[in-house]
Amino acid sequence: MNASNTRQGWLVPALIGLLVFAVLPAGLAAFDRGYFYQVANVAMIFVLLSASMHLVTGVAGLLHLGHAAFYGVGAYTAALLATKAGLGFTWTLPLSGLVAALVAFLVALPTMRLVSIYFAVATLAIGQMLYLVMLNWVEFTKGPNGIIVSKGLELFGFSLSGRLATYYTVAAVVMLCVVAISRLSHSYYGNALRSIREDDQCADAMGVRTVRLKMEAFTLSAFFAGVAGSLWAHMTGYISPGDFKFSESILILAMVVVGGLGSLPGAVIGALLLILLPEGLRGMGDFRNIMVGMVMFLSILFLPKGLLGEVSALRLVRQQLGAAWRRTDNGIGIGWR
Amino acid sequence: MTHLLEIDKATRRFGGVVAVNGVTAHVDEGELVGLIGPNGAGKTTLFNLISGFTPLSSGTVRFAGHLVNGKRPNQVAHLGISRTFQNLRVFPNMSVFDNVSVGAVGTLPQGPFGALFGGAKRADEISERTWQALEAVGLTHVADELAANLPYGRRKYLEIARALAMRPRFLILDEPAAGLNDTETRELASFIKRLHGQGLTIMLVEHDMNLVMGICQRVLVLATGRKIADGTPDVIRKDPAVLEAYLGVDA
Repeated sequence: MNASNTRQGWLVPALIGLLVFAVLPAGLAAFDRGYFYQVANVAMIFVLLSASMHLVTGVAGLLHLGHAAFYGVGAYTAALLATKAGLGFTWTLPLSGLVAALVAFLVALPTMRLVSIYFAVATLAIGQMLYLVMLNWVEFTKGPNGIIVSKGLELFGFSLSGRLATYYTVAAVVMLCVVAISRLSHSYYGNALRSIREDDQCADAMGVRTVRLKMEAFTLSAFFAGVAGSLWAHMTGYISPGDFKFSESILILAMVVVGGLGSLPGAVIGALLLILLPEGLRGMGDFRNIMVGMVMFLSILFLPKGLLGEVSALRLVRQQLGAAWRRTDNGIGIGWR
Repeated sequence: MTHLLEIDKATRRFGGVVAVNGVTAHVDEGELVGLIGPNGAGKTTLFNLISGFTPLSSGTVRFAGHLVNGKRPNQVAHLGISRTFQNLRVFPNMSVFDNVSVGAVGTLPQGPFGALFGGAKRADEISERTWQALEAVGLTHVADELAANLPYGRRKYLEIARALAMRPRFLILDEPAAGLNDTETRELASFIKRLHGQGLTIMLVEHDMNLVMGICQRVLVLATGRKIADGTPDVIRKDPAVLEAYLGVDA
């Protein structure tokens, strides 16, 4: 019983890398229209938001209705650090993540012992509170007027604010974060989080530190949402509270659910679908929102486990990304490395 | 001599009901002890007191010198006690392998940073432990199946495998034979004996008298929350208090 894996874990990651870092930017450069770049960047930011929510809602099973607020905390951290302290993206990127994680940690302390629907309502309230702070603390956040962020993307003083450079920066940061989330969710750590989702009392009896792990999942997901907020602030150059309201949390939740709860590839697909589809249907005018609603409704009706459900997603990751410990006699990957 | 598990005047009240009433008992290293009693005797409550699921109202439970009182179930698990449940509690939407791995992860924690940066050695350790536990119960051939798809009897063994993956010092089995037919019960009995033969200390709650009397070295009897007898199966069979509790005859 040795771990002799016939691993083929390089092909799919190589293809994804090629697509994101060569094919897509080449296509974008060929058309060279700001609108296409904008759509690509927004889609990638929502991939990160959806992936981070996947960790807390899909894997750990905590219904989180305030995710967009932590995205907002990250964006406001970046915008305020840039305008008031003159810090560039190099510094606001990690700091936005850390501040969002810190806020999440503090609000999680009293909320984590709540279960199921009570936890969901608590996160809804937290999201609304943070949103109202952004909206009403006018001296600090400029309220509904929003904040203009004059500093574009840069790294250690090198400006990355050109169209292509911005695309590459967003792509690199999102890719790095998604790989990190993948490591978290496709590991025994992820298994422990899943066991809490399945039956937290039983997980507790198996030695899983349930409260602590839920705190970690919640805080980590806020960290990644904060990073997404910093990308958003520097990329668009303008943020306002409306970007982080409740409906955005629901949109992110819809991405995770349509893609498949517990499935990271599903969360990515869900985000791409729900961002690209409305853009693609712009020609249809107001009718497009009905179409998007129909796609969501039908996908849940006919694929309640999502476009790429957890079971198939885990199998895919184990087979194609070489994440399995070993294969069974019939060639199916089991365990994690 | 100190005992592995020492229960001293353990009491648990639920409102006006005293489910467990001043029970004093012990289990020594290497023993296979049965816990029996009529319905509502407080067997499962006593199990829950030992495993940290239910806090004690008064009295103490000590395991290997550590006080169990006031500890959360995961802390009790880290002391080396693992358990199964009366009403099967597997993680239905996880594979058999992943289910069992949770037992190993719980006691070999892999934190977020371990998962992020390397930690391959730790992961392999968890994998090996999981595989060994699956081998012990003979479920390796269904390792990739979802737990929800397993038949009832196999889910019982899955629960035991998950408990074994924790490498416990003390295993408590809550009605392992419930819902099994005679053949399956016999297989289970020899399996439990084999585990015990490998040096594991085991306590089991069971309704099936034949199972308990057949394999246990010592039997504790509870009735209406109190311990009414404690001895070898032969002694218990003839104990008038036990006969009265079960048959309701005046001894």
